[in-house]
Amino acid sequence: MPSDQTAVLADVDSMLRDVLGDFGPEAEITMDTTFRDDLGMESLDVVSLAGRLQARYGNSVNFALFVSTFDVASVGELTVGQLVHYISDSLAKAPAAS
Amino acid sequence: MTMIHANGVDLHVEEVAPVGVPTGTAVLIHGMTSDSMASWFLTLAHPLAQAGLRVLLYDLRGHGHSERPATGYSLDHFVDDLDALLAEHWKVDGPVHLFGNSFGGTVAFSYAARHPARVAGIVTIESAPPTAAWFGRMARRLARAAETLADVDAVLSSRPLMARRVRTASALLAETSIGVELPNSVLNDPAAIAAIDCPVLCLYGGESAVRELAAETESVLPQSRHVVIPGFGHTLLIHAPDQVRAEVLDWLVSYVH
Repeated sequence: MPSDQTAVLADVDSMLRDVLGDFGPEAEITMDTTFRDDLGMESLDVVSLAGRLQARYGNSVNFALFVSTFDVASVGELTVGQLVHYISDSLAKAPAAS
Repeated sequence: MTMIHANGVDLHVEEVAPVGVPTGTAVLIHGMTSDSMASWFLTLAHPLAQAGLRVLLYDLRGHGHSERPATGYSLDHFVDDLDALLAEHWKVDGPVHLFGNSFGGTVAFSYAARHPARVAGIVTIESAPPTAAWFGRMARRLARAAETLADVDAVLSSRPLMARRVRTASALLAETSIGVELPNSVLNDPAAIAAIDCPVLCLYGGESAVRELAAETESVLPQSRHVVIPGFGHTLLIHAPDQVRAEVLDWLVSYVH
C-alpha cells in the first residue's frame, strides 16, 4: 500500500473510533473492513463521520459527492478501503498547500 | 457533532452549505421513533445543496443524538423546537422550504399553519397535515411499535445491525410519555391549515396505507400536488431515493423558482 494511503487509513481509523466511541471495534481496522457488518455503523454514524472528514480535510475532499453515490440502504456495504482510496485520490488532485 | 440548546432541550443539528448561487433555505425534518436526520442527510441533503439551498437538519427531541426528556412530546413541543431553532439558532431571514418525512411532514404543516408567511414551500413524504384521521393512525402505530420494541433482545436477534437505533427507539417508547402525549396533541385549527397557500408536494408509496389520506389533504389544500410512486411502502425515502430526488428536484424548478 502506498505511504499516502497508509497515512489516510490511520486518519480514518481514528475518526471511525471517535464516531463509534464505546461501540468501536477491538480488532484492527483494515482496507477490507466493512462499515456495517464489521463496524456496526448505523446511518447516523455516517453523518458524524462526514463532519469529522470536513474538519480534517476541508474542501479538498468532497465527502458529500462520495456519499451521494450511496444511499441509506447501501451505505453499509461501503468498505474502509473505498473511503481511503477516495480520500487519497481527492488529496492528490487538490492544489498543493503552500 | 453540533448540539444546540433550544426550547429547553439539547438538539443535534447539522448544516450543508449551498453550492453556487444561493436560492433559499430548506429544513429537513425526519419521522417518528426509529428515524433520524440521517435519512435525509444520505438522500436529499446534498442534491438540495447542489441546487443552491442552504440545508438545515436536526434530530427531533427523543430521537437520534438529541436529548430524550421524560415528557414534552405533544405536536406543539415539536413545532416549538423548530420555531426556536429557526429563530434563535439558524437565524433565518425570509421564508423557508420545509421537507418532512412521515411525522416530520406533520410538523412542517403545523409550523406553516402557525406562520404561513415564513414558509415558501412544503414537501412531504408519506405524511399528512395534523388531522384527527392522521393522529388516529399515529396512535395505533405508536402502540404497535411500543409492543414490538418492548422486547429489545428479540428484535435485535432478527436485526443485529440496528442495535443502537432500535435501543433508542425502544427507550423513547418505554421511558417517555410520547405514546400518550402525541396522540392527544391539540391539533391546529383546520381553518389555519386550509389557509396555507404555499406550493405543496406530497409523495406516497403505492403500497402504503398513508396514501388513503391524500384525498383529504388535496381537498384542504387544493394547490397541493400528489404523486404516488408504485411498488414502495412507508419507507419510500429510504428505498426509493432516486425517484424521490427526481420528483423533488423537478418540482422545485417548476413550482418554486
